[in-house]
Amino acid sequence: MPGLPPARVVGLALRCYPRRWRRRHGTEAAELAALLIADGVPARSVACSYLCAAARERLTPRPGHRLAAAAAALLIVAGSLGVPLGLLSASAPASAASAARGHSASRNPAASRNPAASRNPAASASAQPTCTPHPHPHLRPHPHSHSRSDTRDDHGQHC
Amino acid sequence: MAVDSQDVLRRAGDASVLILTSLADGPKHGYALIQDIKAFAGLQLGPGTLYGALDRLERLGLVESLPTDERRHPYQITVAGAAALRAHLDSLERVSAVGRLRLRLGGI
Repeated sequence: MPGLPPARVVGLALRCYPRRWRRRHGTEAAELAALLIADGVPARSVACSYLCAAARERLTPRPGHRLAAAAAALLIVAGSLGVPLGLLSASAPASAASAARGHSASRNPAASRNPAASRNPAASASAQPTCTPHPHPHLRPHPHSHSRSDTRDDHGQHC
Repeated sequence: MAVDSQDVLRRAGDASVLILTSLADGPKHGYALIQDIKAFAGLQLGPGTLYGALDRLERLGLVESLPTDERRHPYQITVAGAAALRAHLDSLERVSAVGRLRLRLGGI
């Protein structure tokens, strides 16, 4: 940092602090640095002091964040211990989905021949109308706005 | 010797004790704190160390920043801060007395 003016060196060090800290102490810290440098304290030592403190500030968890960090650690530990439990709880919807896929494939030979088509509703729709979930649930029409025949596929079967 | 449980500054670090000692006779802003500490302790606190310690002391409720229109914030010691400083200095005094006594007994 020998080519940089002292104020710039200190300014760079101060930018390492979190924004919250800079809002609170930023101008005051810059002014204090200017006074210290005017007193003969080397700008490099002032900048180093701010750099080390900025690193401490970023690495030390805040009281509020400490709780979040503890919760995250608990979740990680629980996750690593409870993977089988998670699989068990997730198996119900997963098995239902696989059963539905199997049911759809049995009625749609094209989809069973081409699994990609069954995964891509747009592709399968262009090939043959099938009973696939709507790709955009938020665009799904209101159930009461259509007649009952809308819920049947071309074979007259309920989806 | 029992450790004083009231001494919250035991783990706060030397900078915190120096800052509280400096603020004991009235509010000061950052630059005045550094100059005062240099005068009575012969130690130049880095500005980063100073603000880190001030933030910690403020979180502990041992100092508070005074409202001001200027860019410099004066800090003042709180009642809890004064009590904590007193407890810490009492603890240091006991340690100092034991240390001096043992040095004398040891003939060093």
